[in-house]
Amino acid sequence: MTAGGYCGQALVVDVGAGTSERLPLPDDLLRAYLGGAGLGTWLMHRLGPPGVDPLAPAAPLAFVFSPLVGTPLTTSAKFAVVAKSPLTGMLNDALSSSQFAIAGKLTGHDAIVVRGACTEPSALLVDGNGARLTGAAELCGLPAAEAEARLRDQLGHGWRIAAIGPAGERGVRYATISHDGRHAGRGGLGAVLGAKRLKAVAVRAAIKVGPADPAAVLAAARDLRARSFGPATAKYRELGTLANLLAFNALSTLPTRNFQAASFAEAPQLAAEELAGLRKVARNSCASCTIGCEHIYRARSGQKMRVEYENVFALGPMCGVADPDAVLAASARCDDLGLDTISAGGTIAWAMECAERGLIDAPWLRFGDSGALLRALDEIGHRRGLGELLAEGSRRAAQRVGGGSAAFAPHVKGLELPGYEPRTLQAMALGLAVNARGADHNRSGAYEADLSGQHDRLAGGAAQVAAAIETEDRAAVMDSMILCKFLRGVFTEPFDEWAALLSAVTGWPVDGTELHQTARRIVLAKRAFNIREGWQPADDWLPGRLLAEPVQLGSGRVATLTPDRLRGMIDGYYAARGLDSQGHPGPADVADLMLM
Amino acid sequence: MGTPKAALEWHGSTLLRRTTGILARVTGGPVVVVRAAGQPLPTLPPGVEVVDDPREGKGPVQGIAAGLTALAGRADLAFISSTDMPFLHPAFVRRVLRAVEDGADVGLPVARGYPQPLAAAYRTALAPVAERLVAAERLRPAFLFDECSVDRLDESALRADPVLAALDPALDSVVNVNEPADYQAARAAPAPQITIQRFGALADGQRGPQPARAATVAEAAAAAGVAFDGHVVAALNGDQLTRDGETPLAAGDTVFFLSADAGG
Repeated sequence: MTAGGYCGQALVVDVGAGTSERLPLPDDLLRAYLGGAGLGTWLMHRLGPPGVDPLAPAAPLAFVFSPLVGTPLTTSAKFAVVAKSPLTGMLNDALSSSQFAIAGKLTGHDAIVVRGACTEPSALLVDGNGARLTGAAELCGLPAAEAEARLRDQLGHGWRIAAIGPAGERGVRYATISHDGRHAGRGGLGAVLGAKRLKAVAVRAAIKVGPADPAAVLAAARDLRARSFGPATAKYRELGTLANLLAFNALSTLPTRNFQAASFAEAPQLAAEELAGLRKVARNSCASCTIGCEHIYRARSGQKMRVEYENVFALGPMCGVADPDAVLAASARCDDLGLDTISAGGTIAWAMECAERGLIDAPWLRFGDSGALLRALDEIGHRRGLGELLAEGSRRAAQRVGGGSAAFAPHVKGLELPGYEPRTLQAMALGLAVNARGADHNRSGAYEADLSGQHDRLAGGAAQVAAAIETEDRAAVMDSMILCKFLRGVFTEPFDEWAALLSAVTGWPVDGTELHQTARRIVLAKRAFNIREGWQPADDWLPGRLLAEPVQLGSGRVATLTPDRLRGMIDGYYAARGLDSQGHPGPADVADLMLM
Repeated sequence: MGTPKAALEWHGSTLLRRTTGILARVTGGPVVVVRAAGQPLPTLPPGVEVVDDPREGKGPVQGIAAGLTALAGRADLAFISSTDMPFLHPAFVRRVLRAVEDGADVGLPVARGYPQPLAAAYRTALAPVAERLVAAERLRPAFLFDECSVDRLDESALRADPVLAALDPALDSVVNVNEPADYQAARAAPAPQITIQRFGALADGQRGPQPARAATVAEAAAAAGVAFDGHVVAALNGDQLTRDGETPLAAGDTVFFLSADAGG
């Protein structure tokens, strides 16, 4: 009998052949990988042909749910979208939150995997009647939100929909999958669906999936709910992640003008402290969430959008743009087109620098020019003009442009860097370099160590290695159970407390020690996938600019991240993870991955 | 004094805690406390090392020798301070260290009428020289200075540093507390003038920098009206982050208070 919280099977749909089959997921596998990012990783190993082009029909894409989905635990309405990324060629898992997670799981599957390619633009429907396709030609070219609304009108009550925008349809390598105004944003999963000619995936609940111990889960939910209103989440409730911007600027950790600087003189114009009083109109939450971190701002145009630190950093300081209305408009444009704001901003910033250096013939493209920013986004989303190049991401674009532009292309493994300056956050530098997804602030939360006050954030060394591993393990479990990372501060003994939640839901006698092992397994499984798909040790590195150009802090201290220092931290990470000197897991660890 | 100087109260902390904290801010390397064998010390922050002075009653050169020996192989330069200098300023330490960085074996301030060997910078390579002098019972610092190159920094040389001139114009860095009256006078002096700023939800309508007087981060938090608990972190001068309320402050410091629940 399947453990509580699970369905015990994945649905594998071939949208080219028009067939579907159920893949049994035994308890020992589910217990080893939990769900979400973990289970998704295993599914990619199992179902993804080695070396497959991420945009080829044979490349699978999985919507993966978790045992906590559908329970009353706060922030549990989350799912992972997992595939081989067209941007990086590596494993990509994107977490997101909405009712789609609940409806998707209650179709009766722990995961819905899509393979093949439709012969015409389609939407995939999954409910109690199985999987089927419906024509979606009339939805082509629409923003994801509009496509979602029209399809929901067409399908009727109970359907939850994830869709792609024009960028996904045109194969922009960092196109998103969107649902309920939220996004599985990074790594280009929207392009994977676009290559399958799937405009949308719609799910409708058909069954119920209960926990093993409903009373214990309810009690845990009440406790967690109360804690979610405490001081650990105050920042998210009161100002949201945009509260980071002015603080990071003050700490010289705000990437500016393509990492040419670590602070932005005009940052106060974009700060939450300044804008909230003027522009904030509402606060929303994801489904099943009591924190409510979404802060809705209104631009002067009247348009409303959700504002986060990452999209403001990427479209603001990273591109040298200081006008809040321009940044809000750019963020909204990314939503309409279906673009990852971080990769879009990073790629455009790189292009701005190339244009200023004369490496790209685009005299209109300059740092600080908000009109240029908006034009670049449109060209990317429609793959026209310069957008044809920029839609490939900064790594591929730099390979084509040459002229030394690779040294300042702001990516790791092809995924553009988030708003954390590695030279002044050196634990994060390590986390960004070694992460399986690429430059990722969610799979590595090593910045927490940098900002904790316990280590010198400018002196990367052994302490930073331990911190990077700890946060990576925590992320692996949270992304697989699944719980929102904004909740992490409410746990004092996270692995033990998460084990208790998992035990209540599943009935398994899980403890913190086992979850530590699970975390390590998931991290190594991701690495093993990447190795299979061509990862090389040189891929665990940072852009040349960050290792060659120091940053001066206002205190007068100079932040230097040398190749030797980074090498030392990476070697320390490999050793602490039990990897060999080339970053490969040993035979015993590979056997533990249950890939055979 | 009635109480060992190291343990004298200083704005909710101790003199020794303050001294080690100021040196940690400036040097970035190991901080070593040399004590008489078995001497009880107040609580020190993690990372501060304690070494016992193997020979009692041999005066400052013995302490200098013990400190330099402890740092040998781990640092080329050292700033040596007595524990009873409650106004030691980071700018003063930096200025004096620069004398040794520029080539001298010793950077020796001469301020308020006296050489200040226990507020001076030394090359750690002098450790064996100092040890030899102690063994030979040549216990005055002047004997050490006779055997190496010394950059004597008089008050005009010290004040030629614009940062030091701005932040410690009276060279209070070299004021020490020998007698109870000295301590009481020092303790009664106003806390350093600093600037505080709150970020994010902590700003709560009070954005931007504000002046305050505080000798420690805890005092700065109180001045800012911030509960300095596990959810708040302080940043000194936009650089070093701390959750330790006893972290000492000096005139001219800026202290940012931010949510410790970083990221997103």
